[in-house]
Amino acid sequence: MADDGHPHVLHKPTLFKVFGALIVLTIITVAVAYLPLGPLAMPVAIAVASTKASLVVLFFMALKDDNPVNGLTFTIGTIMVSVFIAFTLFDTAFRGDLGNVSSQTIEEIEKEQEEAQEQQIDPENLRVAPADYPDQQGATSETGSEN
Amino acid sequence: MATDTDPAPAPATTDVEHDYHPEHLQHHFVSSEQQFDSAKLGMWLFLITEVLLFSGMFVAYAVYRQWHPETFAAASQTLDPVFGTVNTLVLLTSSLTVALSIHYIQHDEVKKCVYNLLATVGLAAVFMGIKYVEYMSKFEHGVFPGGFFDPHGAHYEFLAQVPYASQFFSIYFVMTGIHGLHVLIGMGVIAWVAYYAWKGAFSSEYYTHIELAGLYWHLVDIVWIFLFPMLYLI
Repeated sequence: MADDGHPHVLHKPTLFKVFGALIVLTIITVAVAYLPLGPLAMPVAIAVASTKASLVVLFFMALKDDNPVNGLTFTIGTIMVSVFIAFTLFDTAFRGDLGNVSSQTIEEIEKEQEEAQEQQIDPENLRVAPADYPDQQGATSETGSEN
Repeated sequence: MATDTDPAPAPATTDVEHDYHPEHLQHHFVSSEQQFDSAKLGMWLFLITEVLLFSGMFVAYAVYRQWHPETFAAASQTLDPVFGTVNTLVLLTSSLTVALSIHYIQHDEVKKCVYNLLATVGLAAVFMGIKYVEYMSKFEHGVFPGGFFDPHGAHYEFLAQVPYASQFFSIYFVMTGIHGLHVLIGMGVIAWVAYYAWKGAFSSEYYTHIELAGLYWHLVDIVWIFLFPMLYLI
């Protein structure tokens, strides 16, 4: 089945070229890590790593010349991985942002409210009308919740 | 496995293929080609489940890094990028040798195929050796995953002051640990395949086991390609 020219056969010079490219990309991976890229550091690192992974998949794993159904399997899988990561981050990265103007997360606010409920309420705090506390102006503002 | 028929790659030869029935061809397949392709598709499906297994851990990494970026930047300083870079080069080379072993078996050069498979196992052992040294230097200083996290010693003391530092190391140990487990399994599989190749079980006609072991090994390499910059460099 493996006569030369058959699509499955791995071409030796190609393997060495790909290997060389992978080594160069590894050096680039290390080099860019020392550049002051700030918030771009992670996207750049992922981009270089993805390039390396693509080379391995296309040439070493020979997906380039392989039966397309294998490529389809792999592509669908990787799309699912990006959905998994992106949609999880849509949640975790923006928790507490919606309908919440304080810097606290929803979790922290809920915890605070629970703690407040557990506290014994001082009868003094139950006074509402200004006439109820003629001697301590503004005492309620401390316990009043922003929500 | 004698090859007196020269299988021409055309659908017209189906009858020839059918009459030609090598030992390795199971009766429920039409041709060796079909048997090989089926096995390979099965392997790709398995590899995708592996990718999804690792993606769960990559999600954990992404979420916790996004929540505590300073912690991850500080804690990753304690990982030695030299070890990480050497291990990357070792695994890339092992990927090349396993690809070469497939190249050689496709040209019926069994000996060269076996040598390359053994080189792959050797390089994997080097990788695990370096990983062992890294793990031990962490354990010595109380850098354990989860609740056992108790950093001490010159270069690690500051971690006790870094909030959530144990999260980084839990993720580090779980990701590299499960990756390391895959390396160990790969070593076993490739050594087993090398043994049968040496005994003459494979040829250019039939080398499914080597092909599939190679695919698995490349995936292990790919996982490391991502782990290396994420854990060691940034």
